[in-house]
Amino acid sequence: MTPHFGLPEFGFLLRGLQWTMLLTLVAFVGGCTAGLAVALLRTCGHKGVEWITRIYIGMFQGTPLLLQLFVVYYGLALTGLKLDAFVAVAIGFTVNASAFLGEIWRGAIQAVPRGQTEAAMALGLHYSSRMRDIVLPQAIRISLPATIGYLVQLIKGTSLAAIVGFIELARAGQIVSNQTFQPLLVFGVVGAMYFILCWPLSWWGSRMEARLALASQR
Amino acid sequence: MQNQILIEMKAVQKWYGGYQALRDVDLTVRKGEKIVLCGPSGSGKSTLIRCINRLEPIQQGSIVVNGHGLDDSIKAIDIVRQEVGMVFQSFNLFPHMTVLQNCMLAPIRARRISKSEAEAIARKYLERVRIGDQAEKYPAQLSGGQQQRVAIARALCMQPKVMLFDEPTSALDPEMVKEVLDTMIGLANDGMTMICVTHEMGFARQVADRVIFMAEGQIIEEGTPDAFFRNPQHARTRQFLGEILAHH
Repeated sequence: MTPHFGLPEFGFLLRGLQWTMLLTLVAFVGGCTAGLAVALLRTCGHKGVEWITRIYIGMFQGTPLLLQLFVVYYGLALTGLKLDAFVAVAIGFTVNASAFLGEIWRGAIQAVPRGQTEAAMALGLHYSSRMRDIVLPQAIRISLPATIGYLVQLIKGTSLAAIVGFIELARAGQIVSNQTFQPLLVFGVVGAMYFILCWPLSWWGSRMEARLALASQR
Repeated sequence: MQNQILIEMKAVQKWYGGYQALRDVDLTVRKGEKIVLCGPSGSGKSTLIRCINRLEPIQQGSIVVNGHGLDDSIKAIDIVRQEVGMVFQSFNLFPHMTVLQNCMLAPIRARRISKSEAEAIARKYLERVRIGDQAEKYPAQLSGGQQQRVAIARALCMQPKVMLFDEPTSALDPEMVKEVLDTMIGLANDGMTMICVTHEMGFARQVADRVIFMAEGQIIEEGTPDAFFRNPQHARTRQFLGEILAHH
């Protein structure tokens, strides 16, 4: 007898949701850290370093994420490094996020007016202080809507992790749907869970964008 | 009296790609001197002062500031920037910091003095440019003239030996020009060494020891304000003065 969609099934979806959130969190925090390094290297003023960083970004933006996940999961296994599914997808998403966030922040750093850096240099401030005290606080503000937008994409994008057998929310939904033969109900619930996660972020992001637009009019 | 030499530029050449922005510029500035640099746009006057604190690198020639030779080393650039303050046409205040924080940042980071000491210095100079009561505000809450006075105070907080002004009143509404010029005149009367790129010829007459005219990257002529305005030697200078004085 096929089970109906009940509390145990709902609990299974919730555990999938937890994994989706955990994967997103790890990829986002890791991606932010590495992405900051990418953005700083991409704008460091050294031609060679900027060129290498540009290739790094281009590589991850120019190939499908699915392919990148395959490379980490199956490719590294071929070299003898057998990774747990979660670790593999976490690495894949983190590296991918570092390229996308690095590019978003590269744009934001370059959007801070040149005069800000010049004033800081004229005052005798070093690179570390110029970045930390002057450029990055303004760049982060500028990039906030795009960064939040990327986070929303990332949450939904983690469903790709199912392809290497990692059971996150979308994969959990598929499993429950196959067991209960109630795809509309199950995927309705799954969709609602994604929506509850993403919509407040999208709303916050667009509110930020409106506030920034207002501030730049002054 | 011959005061100590603070800035010495010798045979300075600067190119932007194939375009030569400075041609064989020699300039000596002594302690306490007030110099006004003028010339048509693109004549290299802004470029010249931006070379003094190495916002722009030079390709040939030498620049010595207060006895320190300026080369490409971070150490030399550091030393020179600590001696030289700069005020920009577009103020360039840090918009995410209050007026007080704008003034405290560089002394804390570059001079490594304590917060309380930096605040005392900042308040002193904000008082001096008569803007002490606005210390807690953000730049966007101030008028253009007030912002430029904050920018002057911010530069003074590093207690520089020389102040460079790059068209400090050009971005201001006419009614705000005077408050900034008055602040600069006050600074000049206190004995600050100043190089000002400006078209304010009234200011030049009142405070300048020397007026220098530049065109096409070269110093064409220089003299006391009196000689410069009454009896310019070169046709190029006369033409320029005719153009700008026609509006005054």
